[in-house]
Amino acid sequence: MASSKAARIGEDVWKSRTEKINTEIVTLTYGTIVSSLCRDLLLPNTTSSTDYAAVNAELDRMGYNIGLRLVEDFLAKSNTGACQNLRETAEVISKTGFKIFLNITPIVSGWSSDGKSFGLVFEENPLADFVELPDDGRSQEELWYSNILCGVLRGALEMVQMQVDVRFVSDVLRGNDTTEMRVTLLKYIEDEMPPDDE
Amino acid sequence: MEARIPSIACIGVIGRHNNPLHISLFPAIGPNSTQEPRDKLAFTFMLNSSLDIFEARMPSKTSQDFGLLHALDERIALYGWLTNTGVKLVIVVDMEGRIAPTPEAAKIGVLGLRGGDLLPAFNALQTAYVRLLQNPFYVPDDHDPKLVRGHRALEIQSPKFIREVERTGQAWYPGIVTI
Repeated sequence: MASSKAARIGEDVWKSRTEKINTEIVTLTYGTIVSSLCRDLLLPNTTSSTDYAAVNAELDRMGYNIGLRLVEDFLAKSNTGACQNLRETAEVISKTGFKIFLNITPIVSGWSSDGKSFGLVFEENPLADFVELPDDGRSQEELWYSNILCGVLRGALEMVQMQVDVRFVSDVLRGNDTTEMRVTLLKYIEDEMPPDDE
Repeated sequence: MEARIPSIACIGVIGRHNNPLHISLFPAIGPNSTQEPRDKLAFTFMLNSSLDIFEARMPSKTSQDFGLLHALDERIALYGWLTNTGVKLVIVVDMEGRIAPTPEAAKIGVLGLRGGDLLPAFNALQTAYVRLLQNPFYVPDDHDPKLVRGHRALEIQSPKFIREVERTGQAWYPGIVTI
């Protein structure tokens, strides 16, 4: 079964072929990044109101750059072949990908009727341990704290010829019950020839 | 006359520069189980005066638990804990703060408090403070009166931390092992 194979690979690689790091270092470092962005990216003409949309975009961009590079490391460590369809891709992402890098396995759920979009539900999110969103009234509505993960998935999948739209739809930091990310396949990227000079 | 046991009357968290970071008050249970609210100003003064005891005992004390700082009168006693970073946790105990729920508990009230009785409370407070520091959006410098310019709230605003402190204060009774 595809999903148990992905899970087994993930478990193997996590146990044997990855260097481990203290989770608090990761949490604190990521927290510093987000709070620095919140301090630096301000709404125009104000001195201290954070532009949360810009923070989300910046986290996504950072994640994108990480994802482009991370996918090579992932493919080398896990030795999985090409996935046949989106369902297999989803399983590999959740059981192998997240397992190797964060030691979590989000649950794949909420497949759309056309099979082009699925949700990833995170039971635990090591990036957001002990975090409370600032109390300025807007952050709870506008900031997606773990948005870097969306960028990572977008970048990684683009390197394997899939153009996707990834966004969070709920987050326990905002007071929702679950943290859920929605992944939608836009298209498979065909290699294009550069435009002719003539 | 019901038997009474000690309960926590007030918890204070004071920063390195003797700036108050947080004060939580817990009402006393009066006769007929009515709640008597505490006077915030009086307790603020009490916490303020306890700071002198920290300074006086600082050179000789090697451990973190300052134990009984000062017994104000027959009812109120102050206990203190100093962290390595200079943050002081002060717990004010009211010896007759609560009605004893069971006869066994009443016996504890008669015996008085031992030194280690407040350890679980201090541990819980320290854990809550460490959790607060791990929140990337909490900037300790924002609460330091020497560094902050302009008007900003100098006390801790985090709802999670305040909830933890309130829970600790309400859950404590003499002889509790962990909170």
